[in-house]
Amino acid sequence: MSPTFPGIGIWVSALLTLFAFSFVYKDNPFFRFAESLFAGVSLGYYVGIVLNQTLMPNLITPLTHDFASNWDLIGAGLVGILLFMRYAPRIGWTARYALAIYVAYYIGLEFTRRIHGEVLPQLSRTIQPLFPWTSTTFASLVFVVGVYSVLVYFFFSKEQNAVTRRIARVGIWFLMISFGAGFGFTVMGRIALLLGRLNFLIQDWIYPALGI
Amino acid sequence: MNRFFEWLLNLDRRWIYLLVAVSLITPIVVPIGLPVSTTASTRRAFEVIEALQPGDVVWLSFDYGPSSTPENDPMADAFLRQCFLKKLRVIVTALYPLGGLGLANNSLARVTAEFPGLRYGEDYVNLGYKDGAAAVMRSLGESISKAFPADQSGRPLADLPMMRGVQNIHQVKLVFTAATNLIGEYWITQAHAQFGTPVVIGPTAVSAPKYYAYLNAGQLAGMLGGMKGAAEYEKLLREKYPQLDQYYAQTRRFTATKGMDGQTVLHTIILIFIVLGNVAYLRTRGRRRREPA
Repeated sequence: MSPTFPGIGIWVSALLTLFAFSFVYKDNPFFRFAESLFAGVSLGYYVGIVLNQTLMPNLITPLTHDFASNWDLIGAGLVGILLFMRYAPRIGWTARYALAIYVAYYIGLEFTRRIHGEVLPQLSRTIQPLFPWTSTTFASLVFVVGVYSVLVYFFFSKEQNAVTRRIARVGIWFLMISFGAGFGFTVMGRIALLLGRLNFLIQDWIYPALGI
Repeated sequence: MNRFFEWLLNLDRRWIYLLVAVSLITPIVVPIGLPVSTTASTRRAFEVIEALQPGDVVWLSFDYGPSSTPENDPMADAFLRQCFLKKLRVIVTALYPLGGLGLANNSLARVTAEFPGLRYGEDYVNLGYKDGAAAVMRSLGESISKAFPADQSGRPLADLPMMRGVQNIHQVKLVFTAATNLIGEYWITQAHAQFGTPVVIGPTAVSAPKYYAYLNAGQLAGMLGGMKGAAEYEKLLREKYPQLDQYYAQTRRFTATKGMDGQTVLHTIILIFIVLGNVAYLRTRGRRRREPA
């Protein structure tokens, strides 16, 4: 079978992947090139996305196509432009107003989200009745001990005594177990990313190039 | 023996990198097919989707970028396959700015090619990318067309037959988010908490631990944790729909099940090195203490 060479895009991707991997041997100009290219392309892509997927459909197109129905968008557009005023030293203070509106909007949004979506459901699940005693009651009890002891560990407003020191010690154990679980998952995640790249190199680059 | 431990402790880390590469490349070239056991969180996810009725509308959100495709792509692909096999209607969106839309397009192209009878606009729609994830979800409660006036190609929602009876997220039976970032959390704390829509999440392994709190609190209908969760989901899917074996048996395509071969081999090696490293450290500790600094 004659080799079917993969396209130029595959070759560029494969070579850049190898450039990035070369860092594990030692730092070198190929890695630096790939690193800088990645940073530049990511930023350029993001600017393009914001321009084409956010500004165009939400601001520019509505204003140019149907100004009468969308004239109020001018206010939002001006607030956005105000953010860039920090680059003009004399009127840089106006950027604070835009930032204040932005922060206030997200505080309002996040406050409800955090309270209703996180604090209350998690709290109601943590504090369960002790009777009737089931297997989930035991799990809830472990939760309560864990939450309480970790809170004690992070309570710095008062010097710890013999009792709170012991409780905080239990909290450290809970934290370590949680960090261990997190670290295990992180290792698995990083291996998955490496697997994806190696699979690409073998299945999409080497095999087609060899006609396999 | 002590000389071996000394050698081990002074081993150039690049030899370990080489071992990692070999242990991952070998299962890609020669697949082993190690068994995958399923966990309760994945079974719950599978069963809640399986319980939906043909014609129900589900929402698939691509909330990840190219950096986590080996973990999230297999989840999204498998979810689409289950939906199309069950005749569910799928709304696809992307809320992650750096590549979410491109990955949504790729996944749809891959999976819809396997189901030639599907019709765009009737069986599935692609509403594209929208910036401001939490704000978008909030507006979905009022009106989908407010957040997404048109689909990805610019067709107004009113022109898409599937969207005529779907005014807001209350008509959506389930949200599946393949997520790498905070956006997955937003679906739980915004869409589920405020509108009651069941959410299944497929997070990257790195962010999976934090989602167990939501799962245990009953805020998630199910979860596929990283590549392992995706492999479990693929297994459940293949058991239920044997016709998918043909796809999953193709060695060229990357699937989470195949990825778990490499994961298992490398995890075993990592565990051996952790044990050896600790034994070597403990055995040579006394001598190191005696040696002058």
